[in-house]
Amino acid sequence: MTDRLRAISGQIIAVGVALLMGAIIILLVGESPVHVLMTLLRGAFGDQEKIAGTLLQTTPILICGVAACIGLRGGMFNVGIEGQLFLGGFAAAWVGFSFSLPAGIHTLAALALAVVAGAAWVAIPAYFRARYNTNEVVSTILSNYIAVLLTSYFTIFLFKRPGGWSETPPILATAYLPEIFSFSRLNWGLFIGLVLAVGAALIFRYTSWGYGVTMVGSAPKFAEYGGVNVKRQGFVVLLLSGAVGGLAGGVETLGVHHRFMEGFAPGFGFDGLIAALLANGSPVATIVTALFFGALRSGSLLLEVDTTASREIITVIQALIILSVSAQVLIKRRGDSQAGERRWKF
Amino acid sequence: MVSNAPGSPTLHSTAAMAVELTGITKRFGAFVANDGIDLAVRRGEIHAIIGENGAGKTTLMNILFGLLQPDEGSIRLNGEATVVADPAAAIKAGLGMVHQHFKLVPSLSVADNVFLGMEIRRHGLIDHKAQIARTQELSKRFGLHVDPTERVGLLSVGIEQRIEILKVLVRGARTIILDEPTAVLTPQESRELFQTLRSFVAEGMTVIFISHHLEEVMEVSDTVTVLRNGRKVATRPTSELSKDELVRMMVGREVSFDRRPRAAPDGDIVLDVKDLWARDDRRLPAVRGASFTVRSGEVVGIAGVAGNGQTELAEVLSGLRPASHGEAWLKGQDLTTLSPAAIREAGLAHVPGDRMVRGVDRNASIAANTLMGRQHRAPWSRNGMLDWKAIAGNAGALIKGFDIRAQGADDAVKRLSGGNIQKVVLAREFTNGADFLLIDQPTRGVDIGAQEAIHDEIMRQRAAGRAILLISVQLDELAALADRILVMFNGRIMGEVAGDDADEDRIGMMMAGVMPQLEPA
Repeated sequence: MTDRLRAISGQIIAVGVALLMGAIIILLVGESPVHVLMTLLRGAFGDQEKIAGTLLQTTPILICGVAACIGLRGGMFNVGIEGQLFLGGFAAAWVGFSFSLPAGIHTLAALALAVVAGAAWVAIPAYFRARYNTNEVVSTILSNYIAVLLTSYFTIFLFKRPGGWSETPPILATAYLPEIFSFSRLNWGLFIGLVLAVGAALIFRYTSWGYGVTMVGSAPKFAEYGGVNVKRQGFVVLLLSGAVGGLAGGVETLGVHHRFMEGFAPGFGFDGLIAALLANGSPVATIVTALFFGALRSGSLLLEVDTTASREIITVIQALIILSVSAQVLIKRRGDSQAGERRWKF
Repeated sequence: MVSNAPGSPTLHSTAAMAVELTGITKRFGAFVANDGIDLAVRRGEIHAIIGENGAGKTTLMNILFGLLQPDEGSIRLNGEATVVADPAAAIKAGLGMVHQHFKLVPSLSVADNVFLGMEIRRHGLIDHKAQIARTQELSKRFGLHVDPTERVGLLSVGIEQRIEILKVLVRGARTIILDEPTAVLTPQESRELFQTLRSFVAEGMTVIFISHHLEEVMEVSDTVTVLRNGRKVATRPTSELSKDELVRMMVGREVSFDRRPRAAPDGDIVLDVKDLWARDDRRLPAVRGASFTVRSGEVVGIAGVAGNGQTELAEVLSGLRPASHGEAWLKGQDLTTLSPAAIREAGLAHVPGDRMVRGVDRNASIAANTLMGRQHRAPWSRNGMLDWKAIAGNAGALIKGFDIRAQGADDAVKRLSGGNIQKVVLAREFTNGADFLLIDQPTRGVDIGAQEAIHDEIMRQRAAGRAILLISVQLDELAALADRILVMFNGRIMGEVAGDDADEDRIGMMMAGVMPQLEPA
C-alpha cells in the first residue's frame, strides 16, 4: 500500500511541477496563469455540452492508453499506436462504406476488421522483435509514418469521395456507433474504452496468463527461469496492444467522423501512450490520466477565443509533463540502484 | 602534485607505495562489504586482488577510485594522505580504472572515444589528426593494437577494452585498476592483455588487477591479495604461492559446518548426464564433457572456483542455455531438448545462483513470487484464472514453515534481507513436488543463522527422497551436505571425492586444475 501511495504521489508531484513550469511560461507570454486555468476548466467542464466534448476527446486517448498499458505490462514499448489507429480507422471505414449489413452486425464487423488491421500492422515490428531482438521502440515509431501515408494513399487515390475533401465516402448508418446524448457526438466508444480498461486490469491481475506477462515486464529473467516463454509473450503482448490501437481508430471512425479523413485523429496515439506512462502502466489509472489529457485538449478550444495565449500552450504543458514524469522515474531508479552504480545511471 | 603525463618526474616518485589503504570498512545496511581491509600496492608491480564473487573486491576498488566513500579507514596515494571524493579526484591523483562494463560511444571513432571530454583542440576545433597520432603512438608503445580511425560500434569486446585502457592512459594514469578484465576476453586476447600489463610496469607504472581466475593471477601478478567475505586473508608474493594454497585461502573455512549424519543413499538414478558440452556467452566452451548421475535421496556436490563452468552447467540443466553436445536424462526425458517450462513439468526445482535476477521479482509481493512456475497449476489456478486467496494462504504457510521474517504475504520481496529472500526462493522451489533439485550457491550472502536453516531444509529434502545437485564455492558447505563431491575445473569434472572423507587438500588441488595422484586402493 505504501509503495502504491509513493508511486501515485510521485506522479502527482511530477504533474504539479509541470503545471507550475507551464504557469511560468504563460506569465512569460504575458497572460495570467489563473485566467488561462479558469478558461481551460470552463472549456472542459463549463456545461453539459463541454463535459460531453471532453469525454469525446477522452475516448480515443483512453483506448490508445489501454493499448499502451498492455504493451508496457509485458515490457514492450508500443510507440506505433498512432499508426495502428490510422489503419484501424481506415479498415473500419472501408467495411462501413463498402458493405451493406444489418445494423449492429455492421458495426461489429467494422470494429473487428479495425482490430485485425491494428494487430496485423504491429505484427511486423513484433515479429522482428521476437526473432531478431530489434528494438520495438524504433520500429514501431517508424511504422507510424508508413501507416499514416498509406491510409492517405488509400483515401486519395483509391477511395476518394468524388468532389469532396481528402476523405472516403461516408459509412452507412448501420455501421455507426450509437450516440449517448442528442447534443453531442459522444458515443458508445467511451463505454468500450472503460470496459477495456477495467477488463485489462482484471486480466492482468486474475489470470495465469496475465501473471506471466506481468513478470515478463517487471523481471524478464525471473519469468524465463519460471518457464514463461519471454519471446512469445512479448510478441503476443505487442499484437494485443496493436489490436486495441486499431480498435481505437475504428471507434473514432464509426462513432465520430462516420468516414475516414486524412489526418482524422492527430496525436491520439501519442497522447494515449503518455496517459499510460503517467498512469504507471495501470489501465484503471489510465482512465483518470486520459480524462486529464482529454480535458486539456477540449479546454484548449476556448483558449484562443478567451485569452491571448495560443492553444499550443497545451502542447507545451504536455511536453513538460513528459519531461517531469521521466525525471521522476529516473530519480526513483537512482534511489533504488546500488550505490556503486549510481553515478553512471544517467 | 602528481603529474598527468606518463613518464614525467613527480614530486613523490620516491614513495615506494603507489596505493596504501588502511582499515577500510564499508557497510551496505547490515551487510559489511569491506571489513577493516589493509592493502599496500608497491609502485611498479602487478598486484592481483583475488576472491570469490561477493568477497568485496569491486567494492574496495570503487572506494579507491572514489565511486564509493568508506565508512572507516584512510587512503594514501604515492605516500600522501588523500581523500578521494570522486572519480575526478582519483584521475587527478594518477589513478585510472577500467570497469567491467565499457562506456564507449559506438558511433564515434576509436580516437574520438579515447579523447572524449578532453579533445585536443586547434583553433577551437577538434584536431583529429593529432588525436589519431597520439592514439597510434600509445597503442604502439603498449601493444594495444587498434585502428584509431575505425568506428567503435564495429569492433569486438576485446578491442573495446583496449580503447578503455587507452582512455585511462591519455588521462595520465600511473596506477591502473582493472576490474575482472579477462571475463570478457578470449584466451588469446587475455595473453595480449598480459603483455600490455607487463609493458606498463616496465615503464614504472602500477597495475591493480581484480580476478577470480587462479591461472591468470599466477601467470601475470607479482603480488596477490586474497579477500574473503569482506576481509583480507593475506597479501603474498606470487612466486611463494602455489595454486592450491591460493584456492584454500580463497574458499577458506570461515564457518565450519559439521557433517550432517545420514544413511547411505540407495535410490534409483534420477538424473543422468552424459558427455554434456555447452558454450558461455563468449561462445567459448564452458562445460566440456561432463558426465555424472544423481540418485534419489542423494546430494551430489559440485565444487570449483567460480567461473569454471558451474553456472553454465546449471543453466543447461534448467533449459536456460542450450547444450552444444550431449544428453541429460531426467526420468526418461532428455532435458537438453526441452524448454524451461517443460523441464519444470518433467520434475525440476531450481534454486538459481543469481538469486536477485533469476530467483525473484524484487518489486513483487512474497505471494506473487511464490506463484512463479505453478501459475498454471491447481489449486492456484483453475481454467486460467488465479485464486489469489489460495496463493496468499499458501504463501502465509510457507512464511511460517520456512521461518521467513516478513510481515505477511503482501510484503514486497525487496524489503526482506538476503537470507530471507533466499528462503522465499527455497520455499517456492522445495514445495513444488519436483524429484530433482538443482541448488546453486544456496547460502551466498546469507547470514550464519539462515545458513544453518537452509542446510537443515536441504537435508530434509534429501530424506524425502529428492535427488539433489548442490553447486557451491564453499567447500565446508559441500563437506557438510554432499554424499559425493565432483570437482569442476575449466569446464571438466576433474574427479570425485566421497563426502565422508572430503579431503580439503585433494579437492583444493583439483579445484586448481591439478590432477591428484591416484592412490592405490
